[in-house]
Amino acid sequence: MIAKPSFIENLQLVWALVRRGLNEILRVPGASLPGVIAPTIFMLGTYSIFGKLALLPGFDTSDYLDWILPVGFVQAAAFTGAATGVNLARDIESGWFDRMLLAPAPRWVVLAGLVCSAGIRVLMPSSLLIVIGMSVGLRWPGATGLIISFVTAALLAAVMAFWSCGLAMKFRSQDAAPLMQSSGFMLMQLTAVYAPIALLAPWLQTIARVNPFTYVLDAVRQSYISTISWQDTWPGIVAMVGMLVASAWFAVWRIRKMNTA
Amino acid sequence: MTPVIEVEQLVREFKSPSGGSMQAVAGVDLAVNEGEVYGFLGPNGAGKTTLVRMLVTLLRPSSGTARVAGFDIVNEPGSVRSAIGVTLQEAALDPLMTGFELLQLQATLHGLRKGAASAKADELLERVDLVRAKDARLGTYSGGMTRRLDLAMSLIHEPKVLFLDEPTTGLDPISRKVLWDEVRALNHEGTTVFLTTQYLEEADALADRVGIIADGKLVAEDTPENLKADIGAARLEVTINDPASHAKAREILGGHGRLLKPRSGVSFFLQLPPGDTQLAPYVIELDQAGVTVDRVDLVEPSLDDVFLLKTGHHLDADAADAAPTPVP
Ligand SMILES: Nc1ncnc2c1ncn2[C@@H]1O[C@H](COP(=O)(O)OP(=O)(O)OP(=O)(O)O)[C@@H](O)[C@H]1O
Ligand SMILES: [Mg+2]
Repeated sequence: MIAKPSFIENLQLVWALVRRGLNEILRVPGASLPGVIAPTIFMLGTYSIFGKLALLPGFDTSDYLDWILPVGFVQAAAFTGAATGVNLARDIESGWFDRMLLAPAPRWVVLAGLVCSAGIRVLMPSSLLIVIGMSVGLRWPGATGLIISFVTAALLAAVMAFWSCGLAMKFRSQDAAPLMQSSGFMLMQLTAVYAPIALLAPWLQTIARVNPFTYVLDAVRQSYISTISWQDTWPGIVAMVGMLVASAWFAVWRIRKMNTA
Repeated sequence: MTPVIEVEQLVREFKSPSGGSMQAVAGVDLAVNEGEVYGFLGPNGAGKTTLVRMLVTLLRPSSGTARVAGFDIVNEPGSVRSAIGVTLQEAALDPLMTGFELLQLQATLHGLRKGAASAKADELLERVDLVRAKDARLGTYSGGMTRRLDLAMSLIHEPKVLFLDEPTTGLDPISRKVLWDEVRALNHEGTTVFLTTQYLEEADALADRVGIIADGKLVAEDTPENLKADIGAARLEVTINDPASHAKAREILGGHGRLLKPRSGVSFFLQLPPGDTQLAPYVIELDQAGVTVDRVDLVEPSLDDVFLLKTGHHLDADAADAAPTPVP
């Protein structure tokens, strides 16, 4: 028998689980490719179709690319988080996850492994987005802007991973995949994706104002359309922390329930 | 002897597809002593996996209690997990990982540090004879190799108690033999083994004691020898090809003892009175009544007979055909 693992040992385990999660990208690149390029395709497509939208009054920028590219980070996070949940559902169905549950390792470590791998995986679509964005004429958002973008993508991927993994543990089946994928999609549609909040229909404005994605997106967007200010940053931080706490609570609750069902 | 596994009135209910509820495990009591190999024998759907999943803390009992290695499965699941090794019936391995990586991950999951984890992984690969395949992805492993790796994973933290849920189902005879030898070796080193199986020969060959489960209930429990001895007398298999004589034969044979359900291809299966080992008188009596006997065999008791006696069914068609060994 082995003594209770130390904190360092737990971190080693988180890394081991992250490493396994990354296999999906490193060892079957073909399968993960769509998720990596999708946000970039969305950005290019939307820019090509609605490029002239920025000429409307109410946009803080004259280049629609500045407006739409930050959406890609949110989208990348939503895709990656949902994919993490779908993979977990698959692992629950196949019995792989039983091995995790049978280990004496604390439950938070198992969850952290899943969620951190989402946070790391999201860096791939995010990097592609920025590189292609720059090559089609994106204005350099500054180092701080870039850090905010990547940190936001990673944390939001963690939020969506917590949520999707919680759903996977609740339904124990890949049948829950559409639910995982659509939750991020819906939150994205109900915010100021294509145009500033002031230009949205009143009902959508109301929803967008309570949608935490709005504030997160604003925080990322500021460095692309204007300059970074505390006033545009703190609501994003509050929204992010709130979502992290809520989604983590949901996932912890579900993983505890896993054994007691 | 202190029991390492103690199960009291354990029940697990599931919702049945028809809407009601069914008891997959319907009030099982059992105790497994330290150093024992306990064979849990039952057909498909008997409740073996459900019982194992409860004992290894993956499933909560609907009622009843159980202690494993001295810990309560519901209130002290963490301590139970540290003490046990588990090979589940349906637990996929990650096809993208290599055997070595998987053992390393398992070691890390059980709190071994990096260096120790690698050393342990190598040691176990040696033990289950997978050294040459250690860097191959699991997607390329055969069924037997997968089971051996799975067994190795369950040994990573040198557990006191090992749960094996149908470890050899679907394996060819050679792979099965390799696994049996490994289980014996582990038991020899002091590991208590709780093993489920649908194979009579497996329970007979490996288990110190056998519990027979049918429809969620333990219907018999003892050493294989005692169980078979309980059947006592030998049984007679009589084959009569002419269906017209069956009624007459049934009347005659039924007058001598209990008629059991025969295996396929055999007309009658008669439990002989204790001490009776002569088949000639039966053949003569049938012959005198004008019944032509095409084949007659005296069979020694097997675990299938125990199962048949307790439940009224053969364990399964395959096993039943393989089980009785005709006495020359
Ligand atoms: N999660 C579940 N939900 C509903 N019914 C279940 C569930 N798990 C098992 N059952 C039912 O409980 C019964 C016992 O199943 P169990 O898997 O324990 O049998 P088993 O003895 O392991 O069979 P096998 O030899 O096929 O593995 C079966 O009727 C099965 O359909
Ligand atoms: Mg089973």
